[in-house]
Amino acid sequence: MTETRTTLREHEGDLVVEAVDHVAEDVVALTLVDPDGDALPPWTPGAHVDLLLGDGLVRQYSLCSDPADSRVIRVGVLRAPDGRGGSAYVHEQLTVGSTVRVRGPRNHFSFVASPRYVFVAGGIGITPLLPMMAEAEAAGADWHLWYGGRTRSSMAFVDELAAYGDRVTLVPQDESGILDLGAILGAPRADTLVYVCGPEGLLTAVEATCESGWAPGSLHLERFAAKETEAPAGGERSFELVLASSGVTLTVPPDRSVFDVIQDAGISVLGSCHEGICGTCEQLVLEGEVDHRDSVLNEAEQAANDAMMVCVSRCRSDRLVLDL
Amino acid sequence: MTSPRRAFSSAVPSDCWYALSPSDAVGRDLLAVRTVAGPVVLYRTEADAVVALEDRCAHRPYPLSAGSLDGDAVRCGLCGFVYDAGGQCISVPTQPRVPFGASVAAYPVDERDGVVWVWLGEPGRARLHRVPDLPWLTGPGWATVGATEEVAAGFLLLHENFADVTQVPFVAPEIAPAVLEGTPPPLDVVVTETTVELHRRFPPAPMPAWQAGLVDGSHRDLATVQAGFFVSPALWVDHWDVVAEDGPVARLRFTHLITPVDEGRSRLHWRVSRDFALGDAAADTQMRELFADYYARVRIAMELTQAVIDTDGPGPEVNVGADVAGLRVREIVLAMLADEGVVPLRTRPTT
Repeated sequence: MTETRTTLREHEGDLVVEAVDHVAEDVVALTLVDPDGDALPPWTPGAHVDLLLGDGLVRQYSLCSDPADSRVIRVGVLRAPDGRGGSAYVHEQLTVGSTVRVRGPRNHFSFVASPRYVFVAGGIGITPLLPMMAEAEAAGADWHLWYGGRTRSSMAFVDELAAYGDRVTLVPQDESGILDLGAILGAPRADTLVYVCGPEGLLTAVEATCESGWAPGSLHLERFAAKETEAPAGGERSFELVLASSGVTLTVPPDRSVFDVIQDAGISVLGSCHEGICGTCEQLVLEGEVDHRDSVLNEAEQAANDAMMVCVSRCRSDRLVLDL
Repeated sequence: MTSPRRAFSSAVPSDCWYALSPSDAVGRDLLAVRTVAGPVVLYRTEADAVVALEDRCAHRPYPLSAGSLDGDAVRCGLCGFVYDAGGQCISVPTQPRVPFGASVAAYPVDERDGVVWVWLGEPGRARLHRVPDLPWLTGPGWATVGATEEVAAGFLLLHENFADVTQVPFVAPEIAPAVLEGTPPPLDVVVTETTVELHRRFPPAPMPAWQAGLVDGSHRDLATVQAGFFVSPALWVDHWDVVAEDGPVARLRFTHLITPVDEGRSRLHWRVSRDFALGDAAADTQMRELFADYYARVRIAMELTQAVIDTDGPGPEVNVGADVAGLRVREIVLAMLADEGVVPLRTRPTT
């Protein structure tokens, strides 16, 4: 028997913009539907999709609608004046009736069952937390949201959050200052999971606060932009790449990514952002010392050395073996 | 070699709608069904709604299914405690007051397409998960045969079997379409967060003898389009469409309702639906016998596999490219178990 060619790809389709709602200063919520009214793929809280905006412009946005609703998905998009064109395109080009190509959903901000949650949102980071709070509420969990923003008018979805009453605390910076993480997180509790999404400054501050006393696995956060990483002194190096299931051995030169080398060999691998933030290209590591450069895996997950994002991460040892 | 993220797991996700029974098996008699969440009793109210209650009296360990119906309530056959359709105890024979907190679990139910779906997880989360639509099971233009197999193998083994249709010629050579005998054509696997689809188009070939006898125009060699769908841990669906240039000539839908009983046992409600030879009782009998034989062979193959796992453990394994769909199913199931707090978020090597 000769080899069967297998391709692996993510679900992708053209959706139509059903509504554009201005939900805060510089924030629009896009409601997207299938043009034929077909059911959209299922997803769970924390999931995101890629919007393929043309000319290779691909941006990730968290889903902030109801996972039970198979007819629509909704994303919230902040217009970033210094952004890389994705948010400007959404704000300027997409109107009711526009078609937009959507890939996914996928989820690297998984919502784990727990009797108690602390949610911390900074600005547009509120989006993935909306379906999480709905699920926490439905499951009868004890939870509280601390939602920080520049000003009250810049904070999206506050009207929807009003339904939760005193479970939600709004902290507009011009009225109440910045989020007091020490007071918000309080003493570490074994029955509590912490879910955070927002700008890098907030994420690193929460990471630092949780380092003292919170059990590993308590803190769950999602990054919207890649963490800064430094290239090694002396430049990138070359290493051998073994794909165990495929039975091939390749070489990764200093100027090519592991992802590119796998693709060049004609082996099907998923990929999306090529910046180490979306988690699509994660591969399982069987052997080799991974040099992690991604923003998806946390410190403990990186230290476990059993998985890597092949778009950006490399190998410190001479040989890297993947389960691919 | 298989990494821990794709390791075989026998644990069963709870947050899923499972098909506990065909609709026609549930009526005004009490039906006992063993599930991963324990014993469940099914019955219909006088208004024809299906009720799913924990099948164990709160008073003493006695199955409610061995009791009797009193209107929409169920009476324990040992102590006479009466429970309403919401699981609340509403009367006891020995005192006027109902003991505080006396109740049995009531599970959310959804009935559609001739299937009784029951949510065994945290009740509040039921609403957030979709019940699959299987319109061909009862819809016009389709004829369906089926039965139930009790399988001494875990639910994941069944999914992995259905994920790899190239196993059919080895499990049941005489049933396999000729198209499966050659080199399989390219396999296109499409994934989302919680689903896996596979698509393959076989070049023109003769139909298998059983099907050729039932389809007009079967003298031609026609292409076959296959699609497989991992919808949830409860459901694998296959589409087999024989197609001509101007569209499908004969369509088959294989519905595999996979209901875990415990970590090593499952109940397979299989259904084979066709859009040809409608109203043909002989065709029904022929297909029922043919596929009963096929699914019995699947059962035996899966039970042999489960026995190896039980005796010697799940690993080690060698994977090939065609396993990508089955491995993705494992990843989805492990992620569901992680969300439920059953396994760590990223399953670690045990070394």
